[in-house]
Amino acid sequence: MEQWIAMLLLISAIWLLQIRKISDSVPILAFQSFVLALTAGAMWYQTKLSHLLIAALLTLVVKAMIIPAILHYTIKKIDVHRQVERVTSKYTSLLMAIILSVAGFYVTSRLHLPSTKFGEPYLPVSITLVFLGTFIMIDHKKALMQGIGLITIENGLFLVAQSISYGMPMMVELGIFFDMLVTVVIIGILSLRIHSTFESLNIEKMSNLKG
Amino acid sequence: MIDMGEVSLLLIIPLVTAVLCWKINIHIGEKLQITTALLNVFVSLLIANNVFFHAPITGWHHLIYIDALSAFNVMLIVLIGFVASLYSVGYMHHEVAEKIIDANKVRHYYLWFHLFLGTMLAVSVVNNLGFLWVGIELTTLVSALLVAFYRKGTSLEAAWKYLIMGSVGIAFALLGIIFLYLSGVDLFGESADSLNWTVLHQAAKQLNPQWTLIAFVFVLVGFGTKAGLAPMHFWLPDAHSQAPSPVSAVLSGVLLNTALYGVFRIYTIVNTTLDGKAASYLIFFGLLSIAITVPFMLVQHDLKRMLAYSSVEHMGIITLGVGIGGALGLYGAVLHMFHHSMAKSLLFFAAGNITQNYHSKRMERISGILKTMPITGSIFLIAAFAITGTPPFNIFVSEFTIMRAGFQSGHLVATVLFLLFVVLIFSGMMYYVVRMAFGEAPAKVEKKEMSRWSTAALFLPLVAVILFGLYVPPFFQEIIQQVAVVLQGGKS
Repeated sequence: MEQWIAMLLLISAIWLLQIRKISDSVPILAFQSFVLALTAGAMWYQTKLSHLLIAALLTLVVKAMIIPAILHYTIKKIDVHRQVERVTSKYTSLLMAIILSVAGFYVTSRLHLPSTKFGEPYLPVSITLVFLGTFIMIDHKKALMQGIGLITIENGLFLVAQSISYGMPMMVELGIFFDMLVTVVIIGILSLRIHSTFESLNIEKMSNLKG
Repeated sequence: MIDMGEVSLLLIIPLVTAVLCWKINIHIGEKLQITTALLNVFVSLLIANNVFFHAPITGWHHLIYIDALSAFNVMLIVLIGFVASLYSVGYMHHEVAEKIIDANKVRHYYLWFHLFLGTMLAVSVVNNLGFLWVGIELTTLVSALLVAFYRKGTSLEAAWKYLIMGSVGIAFALLGIIFLYLSGVDLFGESADSLNWTVLHQAAKQLNPQWTLIAFVFVLVGFGTKAGLAPMHFWLPDAHSQAPSPVSAVLSGVLLNTALYGVFRIYTIVNTTLDGKAASYLIFFGLLSIAITVPFMLVQHDLKRMLAYSSVEHMGIITLGVGIGGALGLYGAVLHMFHHSMAKSLLFFAAGNITQNYHSKRMERISGILKTMPITGSIFLIAAFAITGTPPFNIFVSEFTIMRAGFQSGHLVATVLFLLFVVLIFSGMMYYVVRMAFGEAPAKVEKKEMSRWSTAALFLPLVAVILFGLYVPPFFQEIIQQVAVVLQGGKS
């Protein structure tokens, strides 16, 4: 069961590299966060640790609902039909994603990370999510998509913490959720300003500062 | 003794100031924010007095812990913060008069500016490393809006780069903190206290060495990005050159220190666990940061970018000093933190006056500052001599101390390289500074100082730059010594 959930997370991250329109990224991200909430919920069900339930509910509300809503609003204001632009082609990026996934699983098996009983199946995927999130940021040329990559990295880190120690202390987790939310708001504000100034979200247009 | 009242005041004053400046009439707001910034200087003096001459402050169920290192950083933030809020008034008047920004936007400036100071103060006083991370991320978010303040293409570019690089870097730091939590979780169990650095510090010897090393590397890369250590420094020259000058002064003078504060907090734990093996990482990144500055300093066209690269250099020197270690090296590094904050913020304030009068940041368009702006010009020249480590100014003292520590502790190669780079940077920077300071001014530049506010603000850091080069008062020595002891891993 856990393996299947973990695979869903992996697919969602690779999917983000294959989309055509920027607006497609929002439902995928919401789906990824929903699955993440599911993992925390499953761990709560197995361990009955109450803070895992809170983490699951927060993930559901903040990451799977509010954050996608903010991103959706931003994209709607810009232009829903904007196509994505990538550095690599569709097939190269898929190949890179597969290589990174293999690397993620390999690194995790070599690191001998200590892990919790119910969190262990998610560990390789969590590290892979961090890798793939970084690659999403590098590969996509649209400013907003870098934000999406950043959220994927954060989702990966959340899962790392979940699987090696059932999450960080509750208060800290709350602080991180708050930070995440503010980050997305600011990514939205800056994306809108960049769009209105450059008439584009392509970060290659922004290369006036050098040396 | 002191209770938590003062600490609450310290954190609440910037918040209240921010909201008030946003809500009330700007003419009252700009005076009010100077007053409250000054008030916070007094509050932090009370706190510092307690920490340095009595005992560390702790409270709110160990959520807050202020030792010598925290108090030192708090002092720097409120001092530079106060001078910058004084300076901002004149600076913003000019920007509004020139129609560069809308009068209405100034309220937003003060809102973000004081929130920015507040987040840095919060970073310095929390005990829990998780909250420290949350705080440092918040400083990025708030200051990214300040960098984007002019809403021009270049400032948006700088802000975006800063936001993204800062957030990714800091995500790695979070991974590091998760690993550090992991290395202690067997000892303390899964409670919030096991992320308190006071707890981790006490148990440093029993932590899992493998995990602490990995944690440290991630934290160094993560917070190092925020501190502008090479090769993660690419956001820094952009952000510092595009931000309004008072913001540049705060970014360079105290934000970088605050990020280093995060690195050093974890370094003191990890270095105890690893018996001093973590130091070589600091020496490596420190030297690399100094080295990378050299070529960029020689080919610079933009005044504020040049100052920003100089900040990369000085963060490198501080990191190198801590890496060299020993009582002398750490003393020099802490002293350098203070001196750099003073000299660099002074330079950014002066540069702000200069760019406003010359309407350009390009150095080839600036000449004859001493004739057009006698006060700002001479202070700029003094500050530039100071920042390049010329005697008899303050930076010379701390750089010399670090060099002495380097030779004494046998880091010959590193110290000789350091000396060589500093000489090269001196000549590169002085070439431009001398050309700007002397000579004839372009005809259309007016002979005037910018405003009372922006000239007055120059004098406080100037006193520190000159005075501490000639004479270090005993109480100040005592303070620096105590901070150095904390960095060494001793109890303060």
